[in-house]
Amino acid sequence: MGNLDDASAGFEQSYVHSNGNGSVKSSTPISNGHIPNHTTFVEQRQKSDEQQQQNGEETEEQLLRLKELKFSAPAYTEIRTRSGGLNFKNAEEGSYHPANGHVEKSGKRSDKFKPSQADGILSAEQEHYQKTSFEDVPLHTACLTYLGFYLLMILGYINQLLFVPKVATEKARDGYVTLYDAFESFYSRYVYRRVRDCWNRPICSVPGDELILKDRVTDDYGWSFRFTGTETRCLNLGSYNYLGFASATGRCADESEQRAREKGLAYCSSRCELGNTQLHIDLERLTARYCGVEDAIVFGMGFATNALNLPALLGPKCLVVSDEKNHASIILGLRLSGATTKVFKHNSMKDLERVLRNGVCYGNPKDGGKPYKKILICVEGIFSMEGSIVRLPEIIALKKKYKAYLYLDEAHSVGSMGPNGRGVVDYFKADPKDVDILMGTFTKSFGSAGGYIAGTKKLIDYLRANSHAHCYAGSISPPIVQQIYTSMSIIMGDDGTNTGRNKIQQLARNTRYFRRRLAQIGVITYGHEDSPVVPMLVYLFSKIGAVIRTLTTRHIAVVGAGFPATPIMEGRIRFCLSAAHTKEQLDYALDVIDDVSENLGLKYSRKPRDPNPIEY
Amino acid sequence: MLNNIINFANYWWFRYLMVTELYVVEKWERVTIHVIFMVLFCVFWYFNYSVLLSVTGNIFGYSPIANGLLPPLPHGAAGVKVTS
Repeated sequence: MGNLDDASAGFEQSYVHSNGNGSVKSSTPISNGHIPNHTTFVEQRQKSDEQQQQNGEETEEQLLRLKELKFSAPAYTEIRTRSGGLNFKNAEEGSYHPANGHVEKSGKRSDKFKPSQADGILSAEQEHYQKTSFEDVPLHTACLTYLGFYLLMILGYINQLLFVPKVATEKARDGYVTLYDAFESFYSRYVYRRVRDCWNRPICSVPGDELILKDRVTDDYGWSFRFTGTETRCLNLGSYNYLGFASATGRCADESEQRAREKGLAYCSSRCELGNTQLHIDLERLTARYCGVEDAIVFGMGFATNALNLPALLGPKCLVVSDEKNHASIILGLRLSGATTKVFKHNSMKDLERVLRNGVCYGNPKDGGKPYKKILICVEGIFSMEGSIVRLPEIIALKKKYKAYLYLDEAHSVGSMGPNGRGVVDYFKADPKDVDILMGTFTKSFGSAGGYIAGTKKLIDYLRANSHAHCYAGSISPPIVQQIYTSMSIIMGDDGTNTGRNKIQQLARNTRYFRRRLAQIGVITYGHEDSPVVPMLVYLFSKIGAVIRTLTTRHIAVVGAGFPATPIMEGRIRFCLSAAHTKEQLDYALDVIDDVSENLGLKYSRKPRDPNPIEY
Repeated sequence: MLNNIINFANYWWFRYLMVTELYVVEKWERVTIHVIFMVLFCVFWYFNYSVLLSVTGNIFGYSPIANGLLPPLPHGAAGVKVTS
């Protein structure tokens, strides 16, 4: 099914020819032997184009044709379905094209709109349990997941025993110890390699509401890939483009371009040397105003903001109480700092209090039981793999009780949560001054790059003097700063329009609609109902692969996550919603997900399902 | 009719491959695992047949296969060893 709605009959015919009867070179489970015979198609197209040229057609149309030609065939085939083959209810269903205007099937627009905000009617704890869902895995699925994983490992070891690939043996390395960890190489060669086509997929467009995937196939079970020369246009449900600011057109892009023409692309120096400009200072002021605190500092990389600033704040005699689902950048930062790290169960206030109390009562055992120099609680706003939201009001109460500091990583939540897009602090209507260190990134909602830390003037001044990311890293590139500045002003409404507010509301609406529809479909999703990160649990390794491949054939690009990024038990597909998505796009995606989860058996949920149509 | 049955079998074979992770492996690996499964099944079957059946027969004084095949046991016999 090509993704051209306006394709002529000739196009359809040649497409069928190229896939059905064309020379299929090899059949692998990954590509499913689906190698589009591109050349015949191109020849046919060229012939017809030549004729058209003779007829005096304009060249512009020809260019458009060539562009269309790119979106010919995905490199995957459909999975087997219950009815044994492709059966789309109508012709449009198999192909995704927004211009089609998918007919409204379910859900009407509700008049009463609820912003992304905590209700505050129930107590914080009750509201959390009401809105957050972590459904348990069914027992048989758990057993099968482990069985399957062991099978894969056994097969991997047999494989490794029998066939040693060329990459596994190094020449002229006698007497050297191995440079790479044996298990990691084994895992990536014999387990991850089997579904490698579902990750690291090259794209060739702006990751807006849609993106274009570069098709590739493998002839050797994932060891290497070959580009087919075709591209697939997909609905993008994988990028962290929460507010839809990642775009090559519009005000942000124009102003960034203008800035690049004025100031170039780099300052080739760090902020402490000759890289500090009014642009950076303005951005920091705006960020501070955005977060509602005294001052802020910006860095060129979001990951480094965590990894390099935590060591500046913490030393070996400090205690850090860290959530178990914290991001790798926080974990790296804590390791670099050398502080004692105690982990508490994900979002469990009881466990957090236990760890805090023990830390306060017993002191530092490495230091003869003397009290810790300082205690820091490290949490994220939205946990990127779980889709859950931090229980901020309760954590603030605990931090005040035990006189600990609070480090809040708002990487995913800034922009995407709260009625004003100011993150979870805004969502819970908490006082930003209660959070000692507010960290966030510009990579996601702002559609740019970098990170910030906001807080009191004293904290920021300390970081300016002590942070490695400030002193040694190059300063942020001017167009990047401009993109952040413009998108942030739009969110704040400084441009005098309602665009930012509309985007935030659109995201909140999309999120709630998507999550409710998924619950109605009957798949298990994790997390808070207002979080735009929606992990859908599929558990099994092969199901991650099958879902991603099938969704690609139906022109939806999603991201899967499996071991080691998640526990073995909890392979998942992660949808990231965006304000750029329209209801029609989400409806299309949900219909496809419904179909796929029916055919692959993903409807694990045992919760009662809402029989009524969900209101958008 | 036949087509439906084939479709049904194909679909559930696909689901079986999916839950055992055999969907993502190469063909020879799939065959290997199935051979291992078959060998395990046979070993279990033989074990059940030769050991478990006679043990349970000894314990309960009742052997379902022997009962069906052989004439009733003489009074006081402890059980029947089914295999050679």
